[in-house]
Amino acid sequence: MLRIESVHKVFNKNTPDEFIALKSLNLSVSEGEFVTVIGGNGAGKSTVFNIISGSILCDSGVVELDGTDITYMPVYKRASYVGRIFQDPMKGTAPSLTVGENLIIAYMKSMKKNNLSIPSSKEKNYIKERLADLKLGLEDRLNTKIGLLSGGQRQAVALVMATLVKPKLLLLDEHTAALDPVSAEAVMELTEKIVTENNITTLMITHNITSALDYGSRTIMMDLGEIIIDVCGEERKKLTVQELVSQYK
Amino acid sequence: MSLTSFIGAIELGLVYSLLAFGTYISFKILNVADLTVDGSFVLGAAASAVFTFSGNPVLGLIVAIAAGALAGTITAVLQTKMGIQPILSGILTMTGLYSVNLTVMGGKANIPLLNKTSIFTYAEQLFPGRGYKIAALFIIIAFVFAILNWFFRTQLGLSIRATGDNEEMCKASSIDTDFIKIVGFSLSNAIVALSGALVAQMQQSADVNMGAGMVVISFASIIIGSTIIKNKNITLGLLSVIIGSLIYRFIIALILTTNFPPSYLKLISSLIVITALSFPNIKKKMDVRKLERRRLHAKN
Ligand SMILES: Nc1ncnc2c1ncn2[C@@H]1O[C@H](COP(=O)(O)OP(=O)(O)O)[C@@H](O)[C@H]1O
Ligand SMILES: [Mg+2]
Repeated sequence: MLRIESVHKVFNKNTPDEFIALKSLNLSVSEGEFVTVIGGNGAGKSTVFNIISGSILCDSGVVELDGTDITYMPVYKRASYVGRIFQDPMKGTAPSLTVGENLIIAYMKSMKKNNLSIPSSKEKNYIKERLADLKLGLEDRLNTKIGLLSGGQRQAVALVMATLVKPKLLLLDEHTAALDPVSAEAVMELTEKIVTENNITTLMITHNITSALDYGSRTIMMDLGEIIIDVCGEERKKLTVQELVSQYK
Repeated sequence: MSLTSFIGAIELGLVYSLLAFGTYISFKILNVADLTVDGSFVLGAAASAVFTFSGNPVLGLIVAIAAGALAGTITAVLQTKMGIQPILSGILTMTGLYSVNLTVMGGKANIPLLNKTSIFTYAEQLFPGRGYKIAALFIIIAFVFAILNWFFRTQLGLSIRATGDNEEMCKASSIDTDFIKIVGFSLSNAIVALSGALVAQMQQSADVNMGAGMVVISFASIIIGSTIIKNKNITLGLLSVIIGSLIYRFIIALILTTNFPPSYLKLISSLIVITALSFPNIKKKMDVRKLERRRLHAKN
């Protein structure tokens, strides 16, 4: 499914600020796996996501998705396969467009590009149904500018946007970290529901170790640009939060 | 205000509302102050004047639109493919256009069109009475309005609006934002050039310097319009631009009825824009002052 091979990334090469962010990283994720990613600040977690989604390019190595080499594919092209949600709820939606318009933008992934048709009522109904699945009442606010929604609501809409057209891979970068505990919990529950119901291959970065062990089927820990722990199955079930915390340097 | 200057203000308000439509797309929708406008306005006027001079006023409008679109494309390519800052991209195209415009005008700084057949000559035959220019402009603006109002609801139009709002999100939604900007800026400058083309035929002359300050004038219209119609969708947004442009021309016409020297008009346009853009910031500071003073009073 996802194959990252010997991916190396150095920031500010040949300057005093030179920094090795990823050290010949290898990672394989199979179809339908839900991997939680933990590790201290600066460990290189977001850099891995940036390289997978194309917003930065690696210095050497290969990124392969479903057998296709996407290492140098432009962001907007690989975006049809990779869905991504950021920590900042402002990043994932266009604030002065309405909830409905934002979702149409996301839904356009599945349509012919740049066409001059106005979204049909069939498409609008589909979007409305998917929004209703959230059970947040947002289906009644399709004409509200999304900038007027709370962070939690925006993040929930971003979740629907990223999965409206089923992505081959979903990347969640601390997507509940900016929310209050109640909204964070709600968005996390929604994430789990959408990911499992649609069997979406997912990587989720989190600083909440409990979440990292409760959700998903595999956990990896990164440190200094390397994967230092990679557990799944029985071994993962036995792992405790304390044991993992003690691995943070 | 005399009837003549009243009619004149409506005519100018209408013809310059096209200019404001164009900058509305770059300034309000794509979130970039595109200075290409000062050049593409003249480019449209120059193309229109050359064709009107040789007896083809309608063809002049069409060529103007195409030339404006090309100018916008160049600015967008500088911005996206060449990575030049948005404002500078506009300045570079505008500066280059000055030479292009002079060349189009056959090296002359001015093309007079007195006694030449223009689209307004046709309009005069169609609509008798003093309002024939208004009637012609009204039809053209209604047409452009209808097209834009439809276009910004289509998938392509929606992508343009979303790109101005959150470019990263658009890329993450598989939108080729470079292409989208090229479409947006060329559409914007095509309409600006049409505005220049109509101004040339209406005022029966094109001048290589007639574009100076057009960006600011159109911003003033957009800002006036947006204070009258707030919190708007695309339809109301476009309508507010027409209303703003008309009000702007009435303000100017009123000023001209006094003994105020006309040479100060551009300064006034600038002041309108400065006031409108700085108002929210100044208001915030004044509110904080007020709160501070109130607390001081409460203490004493
Ligand atoms: N664009 C960049 N330019 C320079 N350094 C960067 C850049 N992006 C990330 N870094 C550095 O790389 C390291 C890893 O960052 P990141 O992957 O964001 O860590 P995290 O695991 O907290 O998500 C950090 O030290 C960060 O400062
Ligand atoms: Mg990070």
